[in-house]
Amino acid sequence: MKSRYVVAFTASVALLLSACGVIRGDDEGSKGGAQAPGVTTEPCPNAVDRNKGCIYLGSISDLTSGPFAALAVPITDAQKAFWARVNKAGGIGGKYEVDVTRYVRDNKYNPEVHRQVYNEIKDQVLGLAQTLGSPTTAAIIADLKANDIVAAPASWTSAWEFEDVIVESGANYCVEAMNSVDYAVETYKPKSVMAVHLAGDYGADAAAGAKIAAERNGLTFTSVETPTGANEQGRAITEITKNKPDLVILTTGPADAATIIGQAAAAGYKGRFIGTGPTWNPALLKSPAAPALKALYEQSAPGKPWDADTPGHKALREAFPNVTANEGYTSGWAWAYPLKAALDKMVAGGDVSRKGLLAAVKTLKTVDYEGMLPPEAGNYADDANTATFRQTLINKVDDQAPTGVSIVKDFFTGETAKSYTFDGPCFAKL
Amino acid sequence: MKGLLETIIRGLGNGSVYALLALGFVIIYKATRVISFAQPALMLAGAVAVSYLAEVTGFYAAVILSALLIALVALGIERVAIRPMVGRPVFVVAIITLGIDVVVRVVVNAFIGRDVRQMGDPWGFTQVSLGPLVVQSRWLAMLLVTAVLVALLFAFFRYTKYGLAMRAAAFDQETALAQGVSVGMVFALSWGLAGFLAAIAGMFVGTGQGVEQLTWIIALKALPAIIVGGLDSLGGAVVGGLVVGVVESLFQSYQGEFAPWLGQNFAVVSPYVVMLIVLLVRPYGLFGTREVERV
Repeated sequence: MKSRYVVAFTASVALLLSACGVIRGDDEGSKGGAQAPGVTTEPCPNAVDRNKGCIYLGSISDLTSGPFAALAVPITDAQKAFWARVNKAGGIGGKYEVDVTRYVRDNKYNPEVHRQVYNEIKDQVLGLAQTLGSPTTAAIIADLKANDIVAAPASWTSAWEFEDVIVESGANYCVEAMNSVDYAVETYKPKSVMAVHLAGDYGADAAAGAKIAAERNGLTFTSVETPTGANEQGRAITEITKNKPDLVILTTGPADAATIIGQAAAAGYKGRFIGTGPTWNPALLKSPAAPALKALYEQSAPGKPWDADTPGHKALREAFPNVTANEGYTSGWAWAYPLKAALDKMVAGGDVSRKGLLAAVKTLKTVDYEGMLPPEAGNYADDANTATFRQTLINKVDDQAPTGVSIVKDFFTGETAKSYTFDGPCFAKL
Repeated sequence: MKGLLETIIRGLGNGSVYALLALGFVIIYKATRVISFAQPALMLAGAVAVSYLAEVTGFYAAVILSALLIALVALGIERVAIRPMVGRPVFVVAIITLGIDVVVRVVVNAFIGRDVRQMGDPWGFTQVSLGPLVVQSRWLAMLLVTAVLVALLFAFFRYTKYGLAMRAAAFDQETALAQGVSVGMVFALSWGLAGFLAAIAGMFVGTGQGVEQLTWIIALKALPAIIVGGLDSLGGAVVGGLVVGVVESLFQSYQGEFAPWLGQNFAVVSPYVVMLIVLLVRPYGLFGTREVERV
């Protein structure tokens, strides 16, 4: 009976193939007046001032069906609004406006798709306003470097500290986890730490940071790698309830985190959870895990939440007066500042090209984030160890706050992160 | 021992969901000789329908209404996309069901949006005590509801006119047709039943943790279940689903302790390993019909 083999074969490959798809943005025509790739003397499609040229930046994000779509769509929208605001305020050096709307692609959080859509747009853009995800960006990093294409990541892996073409903002996952463990040591006095994490640069980077901090603080450390999918968390829950660590550092998606915390708490676990930024989503307040989240969970974050009182946050809120608040907006907006600073420097220097932009990036020692991050978070001039930004925050669940979290500990650097020497990506050391 | 029993109950709970999905596959296969790959989309649609309706009608009414709604959707799909293909190679029809799966999921995803949707179920993560054992009440609900549905389903096939017609058509379509059985009705009924079961399964998948766009992937675990049980055996689908659930649960709890060399997340692939072993030893599944081919 051949059908059996058809089913067996399909069962084996379906998981791999099914996530692939073909949703694309609008087709784009060729543009005249090209200088460097992605730079035209002709105005942008929705130009504020039609006498200015246009700099095109691409965005590759998780826009439909990937695990981070709930964050990625607001990130992308925030960046569109950020650059619209820049254009309204006179553009770049009074000569160019920036377009981030024409070359937007969906990566479905799949490295292969990411590479494919990157190849589609790379000749049409000067740089990337957004490349979402650590494993996805890793799939194009060699090409970015080979072509001097500067890119703003939408991820916080420590690998970016070592890449000149990546203009990261905010502390990496490794630092975030180090600070989380140091915070917990100070606040909850744990004796054991377990890192429950997804595979790859995201999860392993935080787990490595937790391990480094646990060793420094003399805590026992275990690490549990877990797959994505709320239904696949059985093993992680068993490991937590069986070993009862005092502290769990979580690096998963929000649905996975809620399942782990909700079920572990239901099974009687009473330790603390601190999850990295992407483990939180305000929709979790409506889930059955909400009481457990309020009781046991805190979120570490690389930046202040939506309702913070800084000029940058205020401008962001003014750009989105009627949306449901989401930290994707906050992160997306903050990630755009270094690219703006570099574009300003590039145009002022006269070399409007990929090489010119990369050269400008390498001279940036500080960036004005309008208060969203300290200026030293934008250091791309110094070596990786000097330039790595090491401050993070801790938030608690707060159903009165617009994004469901409020700050319990403002920007701080833990002792572990302060003394740690970054000599390579953390995830390699797990 | 207590841990082992709790692990097995968790496995039986999740396995019940796989069994419901597997039953849908087998019912359609028996009636039409086609493997329908639209089951994941119907499961997702069922879960999403419950998440919306529960806000209006309350949870239990929402489950029944959603299951009927998805059964209707499945009937519609059969009438529009499958019926015109009668007589075509079954492989072609199977590929069409893959297309249907994608189309339905795209539509359903628009209703899910980007956040997780909650079922509004009464179980959440609450636990109950069974003597010394402490288990999640939703696993018991899954097991109980599946047991009732399976009993009703078997009674339907055994004692009703339509059940008899379906069995006859599954046995020999042309003879059944000659005896006055409406084979078209049998096809439609099989899709309707599969849709109904998929919706209930989807609701259970969403209990506690909610439903999101990627939830459909869980339905693929029914594929090893039907291979293990036998592609044309309803009882096999139930056993296969439960076996897959229990094996997965045992690996989740004990593989790290007893076989760490298999890597950290072997539980994810364990159903497929069981499937391969069964294929090697009993190519027709534990309860499948052995086919003799003259060559």
